[in-house]
Amino acid sequence: MDRLFTPLQERLDGVVYTPEQFTEEHLTNYGRIHYWKPRFVVKPRTTQDVAETVRFAKEHGLFVSTRGSAHSQSELGINQGGILLDMKSMDAIYEVDEAACTVEVQGGVVWRDLVHHLKRWNLSPNVLTNNLGVTIGGTVSMAGIGVSSFRYGSQGDNVAAMEVVTGDGDIVRCSREQNPELFWATIAGLGQSAILCQASMMLRKTKSMTRTYYLLYDDIRTFMADSKKMMDDGKWDYLESWASPCPQGTKPIDGERRVFAKWFFPFHPTVEFEPGEEPNDEEMLAGLDYYDHLYTDDIPTIDFHERLVPVFELWKKAGTWEYMHPWMELVLPWETAADYIDQVLPDLPPGLLIGGHILLWPAKGTVSHSKFFMRPEGEDLIGFGILPAVPQKFWPQVRPMLDNASLLGQAMGGKRYLSGYINFDEELWQAHFGERWPELVAAKKRYDPQSLLNPGFVKYGDALK
Amino acid sequence: MASKFGTPEWASALVSEINGSSEYRNAAKSWGDGFNGNMIFVFEADEQLASPLHLFIELATGSCTGAEFVDRDVHEGAGFTLRAPFTLWREILERKTMAATAILTGKMKVDGGKMTLLKHTAANRALIHCTASVETEF
Repeated sequence: MDRLFTPLQERLDGVVYTPEQFTEEHLTNYGRIHYWKPRFVVKPRTTQDVAETVRFAKEHGLFVSTRGSAHSQSELGINQGGILLDMKSMDAIYEVDEAACTVEVQGGVVWRDLVHHLKRWNLSPNVLTNNLGVTIGGTVSMAGIGVSSFRYGSQGDNVAAMEVVTGDGDIVRCSREQNPELFWATIAGLGQSAILCQASMMLRKTKSMTRTYYLLYDDIRTFMADSKKMMDDGKWDYLESWASPCPQGTKPIDGERRVFAKWFFPFHPTVEFEPGEEPNDEEMLAGLDYYDHLYTDDIPTIDFHERLVPVFELWKKAGTWEYMHPWMELVLPWETAADYIDQVLPDLPPGLLIGGHILLWPAKGTVSHSKFFMRPEGEDLIGFGILPAVPQKFWPQVRPMLDNASLLGQAMGGKRYLSGYINFDEELWQAHFGERWPELVAAKKRYDPQSLLNPGFVKYGDALK
Repeated sequence: MASKFGTPEWASALVSEINGSSEYRNAAKSWGDGFNGNMIFVFEADEQLASPLHLFIELATGSCTGAEFVDRDVHEGAGFTLRAPFTLWREILERKTMAATAILTGKMKVDGGKMTLLKHTAANRALIHCTASVETEF
């Protein structure tokens, strides 16, 4: 038995696991790129448990990493030789304040559970990620982007207040008014300064039904022009889009014949409504220049939030859920987005998308106030993500393709979304945060002076000395 | 038959390679359309190359009208300059390093509108592939 097991367990209400009790899920994350083995996995029950764990780690020189659903794909949600806090055990949903439109939750609550909990009040979080199987603490620490982000910003922008544990093991309540520096250092802060244990999340009233128009575009610039109209006209509640390949045969790419595709852009704008007050289709689609209108779908709003479950289930049944997921997501400036997409998509092998997809999301940079969710300057932005499922044996071929797509995007003014496959050296980390880099470093020094929290992802180099 | 790198024969073989490449013709159909697409590749001297070499290539809308090694690393007809130590160029031509990566990481220096170059990444990748495909005696 590890000599530290009993002293750690005695300080906690939650449960401490040792390596012989670990399952494979504790050794990697959704990316399956990195495999790390912690010394202990702790399933805390309370904020006090998290604080005690951090204090214990500090006393014994151990690093602490946090894990929600571990949808991250780089060195997050895993730990090498220290303590991995499995936050999903902190899954309590507390009081709903209907008047204030807020709900208090523990950080390990899975968004799906919250969405279903709130439906009796016709309330919903302002922003939901496509995958509802991830935790509130996880996505808020990253930013959290969804199909309503063009209106409400990131999930982090929709936190009213938080209870966090710092790298010193202190429990601190923070909000925009109370300890604002720590509040903004925690949102999209990659778990570098504090661990989100409890949060008050902003909500909104929803209508019971949604209508989605399945539009198709054959040109990225036309799609972008229409998406800008839709972001600005105030008619739409959700904007979701993709890039979809139609394979055309083979052509030489870098001297090798590879399958190539003509790319189309499905666009699914959605509006909420109450039965009897159905939207007027002609008015909703007036002035848009789509290539085809394939389908119009009316479903309950709660089902709209779960719309991708059948896709994820298919990926699980097909086995691709177990592949590597080196996702490469970027937020691009409006001005260079089409040129970038024009360069990247035509040579992308369509087969790369078995068990994955290409995401596009029109966005408004100005609706987010998060300090560390880095995005290009400008009001209108385009998110673009290559989200493949890669069998391990193809990783050496796929990796340079993704590295170059990432570098090209950054050279064209884009900013990476950090939950995916990140291969930054110290210089690229600094470039990513730009003028915010000193603030990130300062927050780390202030709130996690011994650099205990979530090590190995952000490469600080000598900055912390 | 392999041509010696740095000779007029090698430059002539490069022109044939570019104009025979459907990959280049398609990828570069808008390269040089509305801007000067001619390029100089500067092979800087290092432990593998005693004296620098400067290759001037005339490129427009998917074809190459000429290539020659010139005396200087500037040319009044060039719109772009790609500059790197010869060892890095050789790694690129031998496909050990990708040109795009070299440019994006700053190892290969670009003069003349980096953003234009980035907007035509596929064209320039095809050009590098053509250059790498010339049978070469170093």
